[in-house]
Amino acid sequence: MSEISRMKFYCDDDRCIECNGCSVACAEAHELPAGLSRRKVITLNEGIEGKEFSTSVACMHCTDAPCEQVCPVDCFYIREDGIVLHDKDVCIGCGYCLYACPFGAPQFPRDGAFGTKGAMDKCTMCAGGPLETNSVHERELYGQNRIAEGKVPMCAAMCSTKALIVGSSEEVSKIYRSRIASKGKGVQSAPYGWSKAYNS
Amino acid sequence: MKKYLFLFIASLFLASVAFAADSQIWDAMRIQNIFGYGQEESLKLGPLFTLLQSTYFVPIFLAILVGVPAVFLVHYLIIGPKVFSHDGQPIFAFTLFKRAIHLIAAIAFIVLIPTGLMMVFGKYLGGGTLIEFARHFHAIATVMFAISVVPMFLFWFIDMLPTFDDVKWMFILGGYLSKEIKEIPAGKFNAGQKMWFWIATLGGFVMIATGAVMFYQDFDFGIAKSLGVSQIDLLRASAIVHNVLAFAVMAFFFTHVYMAAIAIKGAIYSMITGYKEHEEVKYLHSTWYKKLKKEGKV
Amino acid sequence: MANTWGYGAMTNSLGDIQNAKAIIIFGANPAVNHPVGFGHFLKAKERNNAQIIVVDPRFTKTAAKADLYAQIRPGTDIPFMYGMLNIIFKNGWEDKKFINDRVYGVEDIRKEAAKWTPEKVADVTGVSVEKLMQITRVYAKSTPGTLIWAMGLTQHSIGSSNTRMAPILQLCLGNMGEEGGGTNILRGHDNVQGATDMCCLSHTLPGYYGLSAGSWKYFAKSWGVDYEWLAGRFKDKKMMSAKGFTLARWYAGVLAGKEGEDKIHNAGTNLKALFVMGNGITSISQQAKVKEALDALELIVLADPFVNEAAILTDKQDDVFILPAATQFETSGSVTATNRSAQWRYQVVEPMYESKPDHEIMFEFAKRLGFHKEYTKGMLIRENKTSFKFPEDATDEIARIIKTIGLTGWTSKRLKNHTDNWHMFDEVSLRGHGPMKGEYYGLPWPCWTETHSGSPVLYNIHRSVKEGGMGFRNRFGLEHDGQDLLAGKGSAPKASSNKDGYAEITAKNIESVLGITLSADEKKKIGKNWKVDTSNIIAEKCMEAGIAPYGNAKARAKVWTFPDQIPMHREPLHSPRQDLAKKYPSYKDKANHYRVDTQYISKQTEKDWSKEFPINLVTGRLVSMNGAGMENRASKYLAALDPEMFCDINPGLAANHGIRNGDMMWVHSPEGTKIKVKAKYSFSVPEDRVFLPFHYAGHFQGEDLSHKYPEGTKPYAVGESANTVTNYGYDIVTQIPETKGGLCRIEKA
Repeated sequence: MSEISRMKFYCDDDRCIECNGCSVACAEAHELPAGLSRRKVITLNEGIEGKEFSTSVACMHCTDAPCEQVCPVDCFYIREDGIVLHDKDVCIGCGYCLYACPFGAPQFPRDGAFGTKGAMDKCTMCAGGPLETNSVHERELYGQNRIAEGKVPMCAAMCSTKALIVGSSEEVSKIYRSRIASKGKGVQSAPYGWSKAYNS
Repeated sequence: MKKYLFLFIASLFLASVAFAADSQIWDAMRIQNIFGYGQEESLKLGPLFTLLQSTYFVPIFLAILVGVPAVFLVHYLIIGPKVFSHDGQPIFAFTLFKRAIHLIAAIAFIVLIPTGLMMVFGKYLGGGTLIEFARHFHAIATVMFAISVVPMFLFWFIDMLPTFDDVKWMFILGGYLSKEIKEIPAGKFNAGQKMWFWIATLGGFVMIATGAVMFYQDFDFGIAKSLGVSQIDLLRASAIVHNVLAFAVMAFFFTHVYMAAIAIKGAIYSMITGYKEHEEVKYLHSTWYKKLKKEGKV
Repeated sequence: MANTWGYGAMTNSLGDIQNAKAIIIFGANPAVNHPVGFGHFLKAKERNNAQIIVVDPRFTKTAAKADLYAQIRPGTDIPFMYGMLNIIFKNGWEDKKFINDRVYGVEDIRKEAAKWTPEKVADVTGVSVEKLMQITRVYAKSTPGTLIWAMGLTQHSIGSSNTRMAPILQLCLGNMGEEGGGTNILRGHDNVQGATDMCCLSHTLPGYYGLSAGSWKYFAKSWGVDYEWLAGRFKDKKMMSAKGFTLARWYAGVLAGKEGEDKIHNAGTNLKALFVMGNGITSISQQAKVKEALDALELIVLADPFVNEAAILTDKQDDVFILPAATQFETSGSVTATNRSAQWRYQVVEPMYESKPDHEIMFEFAKRLGFHKEYTKGMLIRENKTSFKFPEDATDEIARIIKTIGLTGWTSKRLKNHTDNWHMFDEVSLRGHGPMKGEYYGLPWPCWTETHSGSPVLYNIHRSVKEGGMGFRNRFGLEHDGQDLLAGKGSAPKASSNKDGYAEITAKNIESVLGITLSADEKKKIGKNWKVDTSNIIAEKCMEAGIAPYGNAKARAKVWTFPDQIPMHREPLHSPRQDLAKKYPSYKDKANHYRVDTQYISKQTEKDWSKEFPINLVTGRLVSMNGAGMENRASKYLAALDPEMFCDINPGLAANHGIRNGDMMWVHSPEGTKIKVKAKYSFSVPEDRVFLPFHYAGHFQGEDLSHKYPEGTKPYAVGESANTVTNYGYDIVTQIPETKGGLCRIEKA
C-alpha cells in the first residue's frame, strides 16, 4: 500500500481562528453526548503577540498507530486508506489507547455500569465502524459514515476558513502547496477574465 | 450482614455518582495537558508506554504465568514437599480476626490475578463483554482487597520488619532447595513471607492507587497537581507501574500459594484453624520457637 | 457615515476584501464574529500579501492573525486616526486629486490633524510613537486599503464622530470607491442590515425617509391608506414626526419621574407596555434599570423562539406574556447581508407546535386591534390583487416603494433567482456568469431599476451607473460656506452623459442634468424627485444616460449640523484619565434626545470616577454565542464550549487582588451594581483593563434567577449579564450605549 494514498488531516494554523466550528459540527453530525469532543481546538500562547496560534486536533489516523499497538483486546483495525477505526463491541474501556496516543484522541464516555468508563470513542474520519455501512446500528455507535457516501468528513466540510483539510495525503499536500505557492499572486480572478475588462 | 452488604453496594453507587461528574481531562485542563503529549513539559512516557505494552508486557506476563508454576512443578517433582509430623502440641499463630482478613484478601487476589490476566491476554480470549466483565470484577475485587489490606498491614507490620535472620534465610533460600529437615533461621515469618507481605501491602497500596488512577482516569485526586505532572503523564506512569508491579505480585502470589498450600504439607490449616504444627514451627521458624520456649508458651 | 457621503452602509463586500493590499481593523473582531467571512481576510493575506493591522483594546483572535497590532485605550480612536492623518499629511501621502474632486472640508481636518503629534497620540491612546508611524506608513503606502470597523468604534458617546473619522481617513487616502478599499462596517446579526433598511428604528420611516410630513404622505399614498387616518393614530402631528425612544433607553420612559432618573418628553405620559419581538433585552446596558422598568410596566409581551431573559430578570408575575415565535427555518423571505446583498431564504420545516412566524403574530394583532385591512393593503397594490401572498408580495411592495436606497430592483422573483443560482457567482467580484451574467450576487443596493445589476462597490466612478457605479450622494445641498458641494469636473461615473458633478435628480432638473427631453406623458407621471418617483421614470432615464439618480457630489468631512462639525476627541464619560477628561470634556447635556434628557458633561464631571473605579471595562463577543445568547446557551454543544460567564483578567492584575485562575470575583460598576463572575487568566488584556463577554443572563448581582424559567425552558448555560455593570453613556447623535469604554472595580469574591 503506497504511503501517498493514505487519508490524512491537516490543519493550517495560519488560518485556524479557534472558532470551534469543527468541534461542534462533529458533535452535531454524530449526535455525541455533550461532554465528549472527538475534535478539539487548542490554542497555545493565548494573548501573546506573535506567538498565539490555534490548531484543530482529533485522531490523526497515524500510520503506525500506537493505539492499535497497545490495545489488549486488539479492537483496532486500520483500513487500506489509512483510516484507523475500532470495534466498540470488542473494546473493554481500559484506557491504554489514551495513554499511548500522542494527541489524546481516545475519549471515554461515562456510560458504563456504576458510571465507569464505557467503550472508547474517537474520531472515525466519518468512516463509521465495522458494522454494516450506513446501517442504523452503525450510526448509533459510531456516527455518520460520510466516506462511504463519497463526502468529506464533517469537520473539514464545516471549517469556517478552510483551515482544516482532509483527504488523501496527495490531495492535501496539493491543496496546501497551492496555497503557499499562490502567495502574492493576487486575487483568484473570475474564470471568464472579467477582471481584465475593467481598469481596477 | 445484609445491612453491611447493602451499605457496601450503596457506597459503590454513591462513589460512581460523584465520579460521573464533569470530567476534567476533556475540557480546560485538557488544553494544559496537551503539553504532555510528547512536548517539552512532558516526561515522555507515551512512547515508553507504547513500547512496553506493545512488545514486552504480554510476553513477560506469559513467562511468569507459565514459568513460575513450571519452576515449582519441577521443584515438587525433584525435591517434593516438606512433611512434618502432627505430633506435639499445635502452636496458636493466628487469631480469628487475622484469619478472616486473610480470607477476604485471598478471595480478592483470586479474583484480581485472573481478571488482570484476562485483560492482559484479552485479544486471545476474544475481547468484548467477557473481558469487560473481567475489568469490572477486577475493580470490585480491588475494593475487597483494599478493605483487607489495611488491617493486614497494621496488624502484621511489626512482625514483618526485617531481621538478621532474613539475611541468613536468603542465603540458604529457606532450606527449600534440599530435602533435609533442619532448623531454619526465621522469626514468626520467614524472609520469603516477609517479602511477599511487603509486596502485597506496600505494593498492594501502589496497585490500588495506580489502578484507581487508571479506572477513574480524569477525576482529580490532586495527585497530578501535587506531583507537578500532567494528568496524562500520571496515567501513563500508573499504567507502567501497575503492570511492572503486577509481575512481582503475580510471581510472589504463585509462590505464596505454592508454599502455603503445596510445598509444606498441612500449612494451609494454620489459616483455617489458627494453629501451626509444633514441628513445623520448631524447624521452619526456629527463632520464634526459641522465643516462645523462653517465654514458656510451649 | 450617511452624513459624510450619503449612505450609511458597508461600502464594499466581504469578498471584495480579497482585493485589498492593506486591511486596518478598528474595534472589530471578524475572526470571532464573522468566522466564515474572515476567510476572505486570510485569503487577502495569503494571496495578495495584504497587511492586516488591528487596533483594539485587547489582543483578539483577529489580532493573532494580524501583521501589526496596536493596543489602544478604549474610546481613543479619533486621536489615533488624527495621528495617522498627521503623519500622512506631513509626508504628502494623501490622494490630492481625489480630495480636490470629491471631498469637502479637508482643510479643517488638516488643521486639527496638525495638533495631534505622534507623542500626543501616544499619551492619549497608549500606542507608542513607533507603532503609530509603522502602522500609518504601511497602511498609507499599501493601496487599495480597506478600513473595517464594528461595535468597538460605534458604541461610544462619540460613536457618531468615530464613524465619521474613519471615512475621512479613507477619503484622504483615496481609498473610497475602489475595489479592495472602502469602509467595510461588519454588521453583526443575520439580516440586521435588512432590519436597518426597513428602519425598525424610532427616528425614521422604512428606507430612511425620515419622519417629516412629506415622507408620511408618500407612504400613505404608497400604502393606499388615508394620510389623515394615519395621523389619527398619533396623539398629534407633532408626536407623529417626533423621534421615539431607542432600544438603549426605553426604560427611561418607564422610570421617568422617579428620583434621580432622567426626564422624558413623551407627551406627558410614561411608557406602560412593552412588546419585545426577537430582541435580547439583556444586551442593553444598565440592566439594573432595565429590571426596574420591567417591574414597573403594566404589560410585557415577549415573542421569541426561546424564553426571553426579560421574563427571568423581572420580578413581575402578572401580565407577562411569552409568545412562541417561529425560527428562521420555519418561515421564508428575503434577508439582507452586511454588504447590502439580498438573499432569499426558503422555508425548511413547518412551524412547530404552536409557534407562529413573526408576520403571522403581527397580522393577528392587527386583526384584533382593528387595522388589518390598512396594514396589508400595500401588498395588494402592485398587481391590484384581492389577497396577498406573504412574503413575496411584501418583498414586491418594498421594491415598489423604497427608492431612497434603490430597492426597485429587489423583486421577489429576482431575489429567488439569485439564491437558486448562487453557484453562478464569483466570490470576490460578485459577478454572475452564464444565466446570471450581468448581475451581481444579491443585487446589492442601490439597485435602481428592475433590470439593474446591483452596486457591489459604492461610490465607484470607474464603472458606469448601469453596472453599479456612482459618485457620492448629493444630500446636503449644492454649496456651503461659498464652496461647491458637487463633485469636481471629470469625476463622474464612467459612460455618463454628464461628466461633472450634478445635483440629485428631480422632476425639475432632470432634463437639464441628463440633457434629454421628456414627453408630455412622462412629465405627467413623473414623481417630484427620485425618492418619491413611483413611476420610476427618473431611474429609467438615469440608467440610459449613465447618471446616478441621487446626484454626484462631494463627500463632506465637515458636518455642519452635528455638535462637532469635524470629529473631535472627547473622553468617555467614565474615563480612567481624569487629566484628559478635563482637556477633552464630553458634550453638553442633551435635552429630548430621543425623548430622554441625556447626561453628558454632568455625568463625566459628577466625580472622579477613576479613583474608585480604576479598571477599564471592555465587553465583546465569543465565537460560540450571539447577542443575548438566548439561542446559543440553549444549544448543548455551544453551551459546552463556553458554559460559564467569566472575566478575562491579566494575571498581573489578578495577582494584585489575590484572585487566582478560576476564583470568583466581583466586578463593581459606577452605577452601584455588581456581578459575580469567574476569573480567567488571559494575556490578551493588559493590566489596566478586563474583558467581559456579554452573552449571558440568568444571574443578577450574584443571585441565581434560573429557578424562574418555566419548566423545561432553562438554557444549559446561565450566568451574569455583563450589561449589569456597563456604564451610563450614550452617543450624542444615535444614542447607542457606551458599552465599549466604561470603568469598573474588581475584588475577590
